[in-house]
Amino acid sequence: MVIAVVLYGTQICVPQPALGQTPQVMRADTTYGCLMCHAEKRRSFSTGIHSDRGIQCDDCHGGNPEAFEVPAAHQGRFLGDPTKLETVQLCSSCHSDADQMRQFGLPTGQLAEFRTSRHGQLLLEESSIDAPTCTDCHDAHTILPPEDARSNVYPTNIPGTCARCHQDGDLMARYGMATDQFAEYRHSAHGVGLFDRLNFAAPTCMGCHGSHAALPPGVTEVVNVCDRCHALVGRAYAQGPHGVPSSEDGLPGCLACHSNHGTERVAPDGISAQCTNCHEPDSPAALVGIELQEGVVQASQDLDAAEHAIDELLLAGVQVVEARFRYQSALTSYSQMALVQHSLDLETLDDLAREVRSNSELVRARAEVRAEARWEHKLFLVPVWFLALATVALAWFKMRDIGHW
Amino acid sequence: MIKKTLRVVVERVVQLWDDLTESTDAGLLGVARFFGLIYGPIDRSLPIDEAFKKALRYRLAAHVGWRQMFGGITYLLFMVLVVTGVLLAFYYRPSVEEAYPSIQHIVSEVSFGWLIRDTHVWAANLLVIAVLAHMARVFFEAAYKPPRETNWLIGLLLLFVVLAFGSTGYLLPWDQWAYWTVTEVLDAISAVPLLGAMLADALAGDVIVSGATLSRFFSLHVIVLPWIAFALLIYHFTLVRRRGIAPPASSEVEDSPNWRLSTAWTAEEHVEEGGTPFFPNHMLRLLMVTVLVLAVLTTLAALFPRPVGDLADPYTIPDELVSTWVPVDVSLALVRFLGAWGFTLFTLFALVLALLPLFDRRLERRPRQRPVATTLGLAFLVAFALAWFVGRRLRSVPPTTRPQPEIIGQLPTLDPPFLGLAEGRSNELAPSGVDAFKTREP
Repeated sequence: MVIAVVLYGTQICVPQPALGQTPQVMRADTTYGCLMCHAEKRRSFSTGIHSDRGIQCDDCHGGNPEAFEVPAAHQGRFLGDPTKLETVQLCSSCHSDADQMRQFGLPTGQLAEFRTSRHGQLLLEESSIDAPTCTDCHDAHTILPPEDARSNVYPTNIPGTCARCHQDGDLMARYGMATDQFAEYRHSAHGVGLFDRLNFAAPTCMGCHGSHAALPPGVTEVVNVCDRCHALVGRAYAQGPHGVPSSEDGLPGCLACHSNHGTERVAPDGISAQCTNCHEPDSPAALVGIELQEGVVQASQDLDAAEHAIDELLLAGVQVVEARFRYQSALTSYSQMALVQHSLDLETLDDLAREVRSNSELVRARAEVRAEARWEHKLFLVPVWFLALATVALAWFKMRDIGHW
Repeated sequence: MIKKTLRVVVERVVQLWDDLTESTDAGLLGVARFFGLIYGPIDRSLPIDEAFKKALRYRLAAHVGWRQMFGGITYLLFMVLVVTGVLLAFYYRPSVEEAYPSIQHIVSEVSFGWLIRDTHVWAANLLVIAVLAHMARVFFEAAYKPPRETNWLIGLLLLFVVLAFGSTGYLLPWDQWAYWTVTEVLDAISAVPLLGAMLADALAGDVIVSGATLSRFFSLHVIVLPWIAFALLIYHFTLVRRRGIAPPASSEVEDSPNWRLSTAWTAEEHVEEGGTPFFPNHMLRLLMVTVLVLAVLTTLAALFPRPVGDLADPYTIPDELVSTWVPVDVSLALVRFLGAWGFTLFTLFALVLALLPLFDRRLERRPRQRPVATTLGLAFLVAFALAWFVGRRLRSVPPTTRPQPEIIGQLPTLDPPFLGLAEGRSNELAPSGVDAFKTREP
């Protein structure tokens, strides 16, 4: 016990870094001149990744950090508050240098990409101050890696980061752009996936527009953009009558039915209405749409019926392992229909719809057998009550006979 | 040849019948005795034959009639529960893995399994009503007064046994309704000061309702409680026989205290001359009631089977709990509309009423001359019926929302490479288009 106390005592006498704090590379406040005046920058910079890597104020801003007087500190190669253009040059001086970035496994193409983006064109060619520079998205001092949840470029933060400018009505009006992208995205399948289900495989703004090379995809590129995630749908679409015209002749592609930022899922009963966006209501193409819709709606109803039948079976205490297996088979066929409908291949759709139907019917048949059994249980009551009432009647007559009532 | 064989067979049958009729007195008893089924060649020293005849000849007082049938119905339902319970136990398996599938097997695959199971459920419900009706008859006619006060106490113990039977049986289907109802009941028990937590722990055998609880409830339901019930029933019936059935309500002392002298087997009964014989008069009455009760039971079982809920899942609180037993209905309504205190007060009221006979020892037995007892009894019955009706209408309620453990903060942090660097957000982890359809939107 005594030894333990002594050991414990010697331990607490030795100064130890507090748990959870990474040692700061930045030199102590008193010796690092910049912080004597710019104390408020200390905290924001020290939480960023540059601070962890040993980068100091003067590495970007120049000047003399050893000096204690302002004129001495701000002399020499001193940058002060860099302009947007200077910022791009400053960041790329390291981030475009493959020799420096190799050790961190970071790519070096940001500047090249930025040049191709609309943002880059505005800033680098037109010198517009409307255009964002590196620090507008990544912050000037608190620069965090994208996997840090506090970062502006963390997946769930990206839409908000973009919306900071793209929801600004005055700013967007100058370029003739709408400001409802974020609102539409928030309720789209992608937005719901990202924000509500925290599914980080769902694309943010960057998923379709790129990050440093941010540009709206061209009309003929849309299919390819969607195809990067929805590969099977893309393949089916390419095989159908819309495929070639979309990629070559500039038809709107996926957006024609699903819109862009809103990415709406088309309900089974809303399929044919989409066709008439482009085709005449009575045209052969619109009729194909109606036929397609009927098949999908019917399959959807078959699935619903099978689901309902399984619920009934469960309530009646029937084991539903096989019924569930059938339902899964039907669901698989239905999922394939969702793919195949993009190729407008009615024959294959018909085959799949038949598979949905036959599997659903098997489930429903089981439920019907059960319902019949229930009916038989009720029929069973007829002889029961006949015998019961007959017995009571006989007993009653006998009781009357013996005069005991 | 055929003729000859036939003649031999006929001769043999005639010979057998002659033997039967000559060796014993004719009739069903004679046949049974011939085969040694009842007293006969087995042991001639025991007067079983005599005892049986005596029991049939036994005469009940003239005032005994339809009003006394509730006790009989209670016993009948109890025996129905015993028989159907044994049949259910042939297929039921008391383990977490097998309980639910075995119930499914019983109701959907075993022939007439549905009838046995639902008869068991409905008999358990009707039993509570029959017990209450029986107690009400005894209470309002003051049949609990001396010399029958002991039997009232035995009856009370039997009531608790009935409630314990229902409570332990409630868990056995091992579906969500059973699981979460029992969880709530155990929570309620553990909230009772002093002994509550200990009792709930002992009953559950685990920190949550689990396989340990299922084993305990099963063994209580099919081993412990039946023995207790049979012992109490024998005592109950013996006392009924010795003290006789209470005479009509009056303020007088019973003029013929035959309970002091009569014993079951040896002494002569005192009502030989008066009253009506048990056989056939009361036997016919019993037959009618039995047949009608069984028919009603079968009807309820066929028309209103107890549904099978989802498999019990300790990690998911169901949207609703469907009540399947009268006391649960009553408790539901009480807790919902009067709160926990209302439920406690009602239970205390019932207890006071049950123990009233211990203090009410006047000889007066006419309901009108006992206004306090009669009013209290009526009030209880009306409240019970009302609560039952309301609870039946509620039928299903969401379970109590209890504080959920904070799991959001404990979610493992996502692996950074999964997110990809800003540059590297390629389609490597992107979902295929089918994923969107795999989970159908509600």
